[in-house]
Amino acid sequence: MKITPVTLKKIKRFQSIKRGYYSLIIIATFIILSLFAEVFINSRALIVKYNGSYYFPTYRAMIPGNVFDLGYDYETNYRALQKQFENDPSGNFVLMPLIPYNPFENDLREDTYPPFPPSLLEKHYLGTDTIGRDIAARLTYGFRIAIFFSLALLAITYGIGISLGCLMGYLGGRFDLFFQRIIEIWTNVPVLFVIIIISSIIVPNPVILLLIMAFFGWTSITWIMRTMTYKEKAREYILASKALGATDVRIIFKHIIPNTIAIIVTFAPFTIASGIVALTSLDYLGFGLPAPTPSWGDLLQQGWSNMDALWIAGSVIGALIVTLLTVTFVGEAVREAFDPKMYTIYE
Amino acid sequence: MKRIQAYAFFIFTIIFAAISYIPNLFAEPTLPQDIVWLSNSEDPAFSDESAKNGGVFRTAIFTFPLTFRTVGPDSNSSFRGAILGNQLGLIGIHPNTENIIPELATHWAFDKDKKIMYFKLDKNARWSDGKPVTADDFAFTLEFMRSKHIVAPWYNDYYTQEIDKVIVYDDHTLAVVATKAQPDLHLRVGLNPTPRHFFSTIDETFVKKYNWQIEPNTGPYQIADFQKGKYVKFKRKKDWWAKDNRYFKNRFNVDTVIYSVVRDMTVMWEYFKKGEIDVFSVTMPKYWHIKTQIPIFENGYAEKIWFFNDTQQSAQGLWLNQDKDIFRDRNLRYAFAHAMNIEKVIDQVLRNDYFRLEQGFVGYGRYSNTAIKARRFDLEKVAQYMTKSGWKRGADGIWEKNGTRFSVEVSYSIDEHTERLVVLKEEAKKAGIELRLQKLDSSAAYKKVIEKKHDVAWMGWSTSLRPQYWEHFHSVNAHKPQTNNITNTDDPEMDKLIDAYRNSLDEDERISLSLKIQEKIHEIGAFVPTFMVPYTREAYWRWWQLPKVAGTKMSDSLFDPFGSSTGGLFWYDQARYEETQKAMKDGKPFPPVTIIDKTYEPK
Repeated sequence: MKITPVTLKKIKRFQSIKRGYYSLIIIATFIILSLFAEVFINSRALIVKYNGSYYFPTYRAMIPGNVFDLGYDYETNYRALQKQFENDPSGNFVLMPLIPYNPFENDLREDTYPPFPPSLLEKHYLGTDTIGRDIAARLTYGFRIAIFFSLALLAITYGIGISLGCLMGYLGGRFDLFFQRIIEIWTNVPVLFVIIIISSIIVPNPVILLLIMAFFGWTSITWIMRTMTYKEKAREYILASKALGATDVRIIFKHIIPNTIAIIVTFAPFTIASGIVALTSLDYLGFGLPAPTPSWGDLLQQGWSNMDALWIAGSVIGALIVTLLTVTFVGEAVREAFDPKMYTIYE
Repeated sequence: MKRIQAYAFFIFTIIFAAISYIPNLFAEPTLPQDIVWLSNSEDPAFSDESAKNGGVFRTAIFTFPLTFRTVGPDSNSSFRGAILGNQLGLIGIHPNTENIIPELATHWAFDKDKKIMYFKLDKNARWSDGKPVTADDFAFTLEFMRSKHIVAPWYNDYYTQEIDKVIVYDDHTLAVVATKAQPDLHLRVGLNPTPRHFFSTIDETFVKKYNWQIEPNTGPYQIADFQKGKYVKFKRKKDWWAKDNRYFKNRFNVDTVIYSVVRDMTVMWEYFKKGEIDVFSVTMPKYWHIKTQIPIFENGYAEKIWFFNDTQQSAQGLWLNQDKDIFRDRNLRYAFAHAMNIEKVIDQVLRNDYFRLEQGFVGYGRYSNTAIKARRFDLEKVAQYMTKSGWKRGADGIWEKNGTRFSVEVSYSIDEHTERLVVLKEEAKKAGIELRLQKLDSSAAYKKVIEKKHDVAWMGWSTSLRPQYWEHFHSVNAHKPQTNNITNTDDPEMDKLIDAYRNSLDEDERISLSLKIQEKIHEIGAFVPTFMVPYTREAYWRWWQLPKVAGTKMSDSLFDPFGSSTGGLFWYDQARYEETQKAMKDGKPFPPVTIIDKTYEPK
């Protein structure tokens, strides 16, 4: 892929804005790490050596306890197995991930009731929630869902918004007028309420929730693209390519969109942040993804109703602040790097 | 001429005959001679003889009632209980023996067909305005409840469909006729009187006119004063006609009861801590275990009681839809039941505050089959039943057969139950069954279940005095929407038992059928019972006193000031009040008190 000198300049400029640059590194690391969360945070062991053979349970089908002669058919409890092998002279061992809990299991105990405070000994580094599930695990898996949900939402809304906005700006006339009115009506629909009503009737799985949110979320970028297209359309290079006989499709995709990409990119991080917030608030209200999906909103809700267990609210609020802040910093830096004023050439 | 005479004579005869017949038309109906009058002065009294009169009992309500009417629009608020608690019926039910006891009637009798019940009124019975209670007041109840002007369709319907008529023999003798023979006739026809002299005529102005009128009553207290939005004050009648009645003696002891409006639970708790209200229900685990760990309890100024009762328990649990392929197979239903680790939820999530419900009809006295035990969490049994039906564990550990996984949707609607269900889900996974939790808004959940679209419904039913089987388990109600047979139970043998139960008028036969039906329900296995809460827990300041056995089998509150059946057992101890006040001033503690009364704990 060839990078144009202009793009290169923008990237250089972005790198020079330290706050945004490091934020990007941080958030990218988070995303990549969360992709492999099963390796770091999981109740399944990384490696088990038993009677001379090695097992790698992480990404494979469930290994029942009987494989390790534990006398049960359900999934091996690797934490218990590890304890059992601790003083085993035969060289059997279990290597557990950093946090040996998955986000669904309830670590319950006799005579004491969750939420349990953070404990290095139990390896609940951020404590547990009100049903004994590890908060760090739920935060991480919840983050993975939230961020990819947000990215997918971004892709769909921008896909619809950009194409329609471009068409409106480019075609103008009645088409433009008609869709302006449609969008005006559309934006007046109270999205959150509609989602709440819909999800009280059907239980939304991630795909349905995504579609509902995209269904109402595409309008904002449309206005911007429409204005940008109107502006670009009037420029000489468009007239030139028209004179050369380029089709409308070619003009839109080859000329207009690439020239407005700066705007799109600038808005993207903020849209991601608002996607995360929307999903979290829906979960908080109990209308988001179905239980027991790990979710930040659910944790926030638990934190709110259990203020004496500060580690719940603390963890999730901390995580929200870090994520939203870094995403916003990236957005700011992108905006600055793409600021056309730096390169405007006055004729 | 002769002819005319003859004609006149004929007419005269007819007139005469008619006249002589008229007294017959207006004659008093006569009481059948062959009836046997019954009464009850043998059952034990359940109040405490050391109870003293006096004191002011302050309690709180969330909202001020919208009306003092007990029928018609806006009347179905919780405060209605306080008003109706002071309206006696013809007869009552003894809360411990469940026998009939006198209230307004001293004697009663049944006809042979179990359709009519006769009553003799207590001649001393008086309305709160001093007028005597007469048989006509019961006839008026029927007129009143059937009137369109009270805007209460449910009552209009009930008093037309269930009660045929009231026959008045004299001022103190009457009969209530049911529309059909009833095995538990006394539960249907024990009417409350309605004061005719107070309402005179019922017309379309009723709803407005009687909104804030205080209706005369026959019970121990009457509203003395109120300020809308703030409080309602009840005062004990100085010379209540029934105060020496065997089953009312030593009850209803406080002089004044004040209900104040406190709009929030947390604020109510603060009021209790300050002593502004006298008792607080601490049934919820958060209150019983955590919030009561404060000085007033540690110093013994306030006390706690955990009182077990033995009343009808709601059939709470998992209802399996037998029209779904998976649950057609009985082995799979059994396996599902054995995969539910209810004990773990009770033990490690619910702080052992809940109890295992063994079957759907617990607490119905002799009608409950106590031999039935719910299927316990047992992985081996799950494996046995599953392999018997030819299922195998798949790669993810879930049972599979011909490409179908044992994965079912559990529909529920209460947010607080999520934590119970996620534990069940994790445990069921061990047993090789996947639960997909589906939390719906309560009306959406209701719709889904009542249209029989669920796999598994997580819900409970309200209770009634006798077990109701027909609506839940008869095949008439299976395989169609809008009926309560949500398991789609369709079993000819069950139908036979239920029909016999419904048609029988003999109590012993009904009881034995009831036990058999419960066995059959257990055998079908489409209902997995979960929890019950067979108790009430209260916190109270130490100058309030309760009987040695603090309540009755049927008490769902120990500090209900009214209620002819179980209310008003507590009393105020002036000496203890002064002692406590002094001790609080001097900072002198008492030993903390937590009473656990297991007299009526279900076994």
